[in-house]
Order: sequence, then structure tokens, then C-alpha cells
Amino acid sequence: MAYRVSVRSKAARRGLAVLAAASVALLAACSSSPSSSSSGSTASNADSSSGGKITVAFNMGAEADPFFIAMNLGAEAAAKSLGVTLIWQGDPSVYSPSTQIPIAQQLLAGRPSAFVIAPTDPSALQPIVNQAISQGLPVVNVDTHVNDLSKVVSFITGNNQQGGAAAADAMAQAIHYQAGKSYQIVVGASSATTTTNTARLQGFEAEIKAKYPGMQVVSEAYSESQPAVANTNVNNWLTKYPHLAGIFAIDGTNASGASAALQSRGLVGKVALVGYDAYSTNVALLQKHVFAALIAQQPYQEGYMAIEDVVKDLRNHSTAGIQHLVTLPNIILTPNSPTSVLTKYTYPNA
Amino acid sequence: MSQVEQQPAVAVPQEAERSASRLRSVLFNQQFLLAVALAVLVIYFTARDSAFVSTAEIAVLLTNFSTLILLAVGETFVIISGGIDLSVGAICGVSGVVAAFATRGMVSSNDNEALVLLVGTLVCAAMGIGIGFINAALMNWARLVPFVATLATLGAGTGVALVLSNGVPIGSDSSALSIGADRAGPFPYMFLVVLAIVVVAWLYLHLSRYGRYTYAIGSNAFAARVAGINVRRHLTSVYVLSGLLAGLTGMVFYIRLGAGAPSSGDGFELTAIASVVIGGVSLFGGSGRLTGTILGALILTVVTSGLIISNVSPNWNQVAVAICIAAAASLQALRALATPKRRS
Repeated sequence: MAYRVSVRSKAARRGLAVLAAASVALLAACSSSPSSSSSGSTASNADSSSGGKITVAFNMGAEADPFFIAMNLGAEAAAKSLGVTLIWQGDPSVYSPSTQIPIAQQLLAGRPSAFVIAPTDPSALQPIVNQAISQGLPVVNVDTHVNDLSKVVSFITGNNQQGGAAAADAMAQAIHYQAGKSYQIVVGASSATTTTNTARLQGFEAEIKAKYPGMQVVSEAYSESQPAVANTNVNNWLTKYPHLAGIFAIDGTNASGASAALQSRGLVGKVALVGYDAYSTNVALLQKHVFAALIAQQPYQEGYMAIEDVVKDLRNHSTAGIQHLVTLPNIILTPNSPTSVLTKYTYPNA
Repeated sequence: MSQVEQQPAVAVPQEAERSASRLRSVLFNQQFLLAVALAVLVIYFTARDSAFVSTAEIAVLLTNFSTLILLAVGETFVIISGGIDLSVGAICGVSGVVAAFATRGMVSSNDNEALVLLVGTLVCAAMGIGIGFINAALMNWARLVPFVATLATLGAGTGVALVLSNGVPIGSDSSALSIGADRAGPFPYMFLVVLAIVVVAWLYLHLSRYGRYTYAIGSNAFAARVAGINVRRHLTSVYVLSGLLAGLTGMVFYIRLGAGAPSSGDGFELTAIASVVIGGVSLFGGSGRLTGTILGALILTVVTSGLIISNVSPNWNQVAVAICIAAAASLQALRALATPKRRS
């Protein structure tokens, strides 16, 4: 009996200890994670021109995506220079309306002064945007947009279709395209439901149809955001198509997997690899000619401009002087690009 | 009189029944059927495109298999012991990232690649063992069930990998890539190393006391404890083993990608569990063979690559895997019905 009592009290003590340890860890995590809030709080004190504290809630697609990490740095830089507080929130890794909507609702419940969102679905996030507008907040859409943009201050985006077309041009150059010959091309995508992938592929295929009829997309496969799967896909293609001319790796994950496959099979320079997203590792491989070309987006710029636009709207109480639709081009980087250009478009990751 | 006549009359059907049941036990044997299924798949994909059995493609298949089988082996031990380990995919990701950070300096100063791989492997192994211990501590000390404990480390591991790496692959080690691709005929050296680990694990599970204890605990943990097995200590070692194998898989991914990618193991715990289930290991614990898991992992590898080689729309991949799981699991259930008196 005594044994049982002692065990129970020991278990209870253990439970308390676990609880205490967990809450300490949680507190530590909370105090360290939002780097923006610390910079923001000092900045908002300096905000004297508008008379009140401006807090911009920024709801991005997926926090761990290097694209959004770069966007975060741009938004933070703008917030700092304009003296406003930035709240940066979104799902850690899942790009989906089902995870985004609750976070967006939570952000709006916190009564920010303005709301910036990268909607993961044009219809599903429309009610959130409507709610923010009805709360009297200026709203900016960034990267992707909701269906009805009429009451939105601005929409700032990269042009994925144009990026896809640029990739086709880069591919043609890399394989020394000649009319009358035929070339086998494969496309590594992330999944069937990733809208940016779809837009890039549309742009790519339209450009091929218009300018390079000899190029033929013979296969497409999905990586499900795993570089190892992308790697497997490319390895299988290299078996299946011994005369493969080129690979279009439609995003950063596919770029990583494909570049590893080409290097390990000694096919660098023999199969042209055009990739997306200027991660610093990818840019380094570009300089080693593993990539024939990289298409870079401008996430830092998108984040910076989004903050600028909402703050301008709040301070001027009007959208005058704000461009409603801003399309930032995707940039083609090649091994021959000047180092200054490569540095400028490499995603700034810590 | 009647007794004398009856005897042969009974004996003949007994003989027939025995050979019939022997035949049935072979036909319903999970491993046998899996081997047949594997052969059919290989023949089918080869008929679609003969490149499927080329030396280069076999090397691709075996490299793929290497990234899955260690996880599946660890998961087999865990599941036979009556538990589940959801954290293995996350362990791959986080240990690969940490190893890449640890070796990045050495890679950029062109140190001996063997040393880079050794350090990387040790770091990965240490990460795996560490997280395995955390799993065990959560179970033994905080009294969480395996599902919840490993779910917690799954989340934490994935998150830490993303925080450390900012979501991008760390490092760019082209020497690792070429070592990963080196092979003897169709057999990549990396696969041979993995195979050696698998063989040792097989011997341990099926021929050692350690293996018998694992089965005993999975069948009936209470009885095992009464029989004098230190159940907690044994389960701790099982989860540490699973963590270790997952950490080593992180290194396999590193060698394969020439970088530590945070998402490299995402969802692989489910593929590993699928291999185990297809292999006929009961999720209730206490039964199953490692050979089954190996065949299960081979089938999944062959299906994934085969569909690409035959240029089937990628969306069908998941459907095909789902069919494999359902078929294998129902086979197991039917076998249990067909042979009611089988020992578990």
C-alpha cells in the first residue's frame, strides 16, 4: 500500500515538473521567436508623425519557406525605416487556406492598424479580406490575391507566368536550340495544387509553343516538397530518357534535388538545368555551371513595398499616389551574370 | 471391426489435409506473396520500359531503398515491441541539417571527404540517439504513450530543423554526391553499407535474446515484466535504436543531396510504417518478420520509380501505394481467418 502511495505522489511531482519544464520552454520560445516585435516596439515609440502607434499585421503563406523568409526581411526593413510595428504570422510550413484562415482571424481579432495578406486561395480568403476592410483596415495583397481586389489598397506580386516564359528562353539558350531539331524536356513540380507552379508551367509551355516547337515536355513529376523525392524523380528520368536535353525545376525544392542528381551522375553541362529560386546554395551551384540558369523572384521587394503601401494609406488617409497593381518581374540569372546582380537577387537568408 | 476399418479412412484425409494445409501455409505466407507481388511488379514495369532493369536504374532503386529501409527497420523493432515511432522522419531532417552545419566548414576548406562523412555520420548518430532517448524519457518519465511522445518529438524535430536552416538546404558538398553515386555494378557502396546494417538488425531481431524480449514485450508487456524482463529499459533501447537508424538515414539523405535539407524526411515516417504494415508486421505488436518489412520497402520503392519510368501521371502514385497497403493488410486479416489456430 505504502508503495502505491509513494508512486502516486512521485508521479504527481513528476507531472508538475514536466508541466513546469514545458511552460518554461514555451515562455522562452515566445520571448525569442518574433524578432519583429522587439524591433517594432522600439520603432513605434519613434513614430510621431501620425500621432498613434501603427501596427501592421502581415499574414504570409508559410513561415519556413525561404521565399517568405526573404519577404519577412523586406517587411521588417520597411517597418523599421517607417517606424511601425510589424506582426509577422502564418503557418510554419503548410501553405493552405485551412491553416491560414484561423491565423488570419486571430490577427484581425488583435485589432491591428493595417492588414497585409498573401492569400493561399483566391476564394477561401475573400471573407477574411472583406472582414478586414469592414473593420476599416487598409488591406494589401502580396504575391497571390483574392478574387475581388476592388477595395484593396494594392496588390504586389511577382509574375510567375512571365517567369515560366523566361525559363523557357533560358532553356532554349542553354541547349543551343535550333529550329527543326527535337529536344526532350522534363518538368519537376511540387504538387498539382501549388498555384505558383501551375502559373510557371503555363508560362513555360506557352513560350515553348510560340517560339520553340522542337522542345517537348515529355514528363512531369511531383516532389511533394521533398528534395529527396525530387532527386529520385530526376534519377528515374535520366534512366528513362538517355537523350534528355533539359530539366525545368519549377521551385527551390526541385532545384536542390535535380542539381544533386546531375552532379552525382556526372551529367553537369550535358543536361541543361533551369531552376527556380535564388537560394544562396543554388546561386553557388549556378556559378559552378550546375544550373544553366536560375529564375529569381523578388520577395524582399514585395514585402518592403507592401508595408510602404499600407503605411502611406494610413498616414495620408487615401490611396492617392499608390499604384494598385505592381508586378515585379522574375529575373533570369546565368553563370555569366555579374556578381553584383547575383548578390542583389540572392534571397537574403541568415 | 469398425475401429480397424476406420483407421485408414481417417488417416488418408489427415494426410491430405496436412499437405493441403502445408500448401495453404505457403500460399498464404505473407513473405511468399510479397515476393510474388514484387516479381510481378518488376516484370510489369520492365515490360513497359526495359530501362527499368538497366544497371543505372537498379542503382537508383537501391539508393532509394537505402533511404527508406533503415527507417523501416527501426520502425519494425518499435512496432513489434507494441509501440509506434512517428518521429523518425523528423529525426532524418534535423540530424541531416545539424550534420551539414557541423561539416560545412570542413567542406569549404576542402578537408578529406572521408573525414567529413565520418564526422557527419557521428553527428547524425548522436542526434538520433539523443532524440530516441527523449522519446523514451517522455514515455518512461512523463508517462506518455508512444504515439503522443513521438508525435511531440516529430513536431519539435521538424520545427527545429526549419528554425536552424531557415527552410533552405544547408551546405553544398559535391564530393559527398560523387561518393553517394559510386557503385560496384548496380550496387551503390552506400547501399552495401545500409545492407550490412540491415543484416545485423535481422540477426538481432530473429536470433538474439534482445529480439525475443522485443517480441515478448509486444505480445504481453505485463507477462514479460513478470518473467523478469526489464521492460522499461528494453523499450528505451528500442526507441534509441529507432532514433539511431533514423539519424543514420539523415546522413544517407545528406550524401544523396550533398546538403542537409530540413524537409528531407517529411512524411517518411508514414512510408516507413507503410513498409512495415505491407510486410505483415502486426500493429498490435508481438508478431512479424523483418524479411516482410524489407519486401514491403522494396515494393514501395519499385512502385514509386516504376510509375515514373512508365510515365504514369504522378497523382496515381499515392493511389498505388494506398492499394498496396490495403491489399497487404487485408491479406493479413484473411490469413488470420483462414488459419484460426495459428500461433500469434
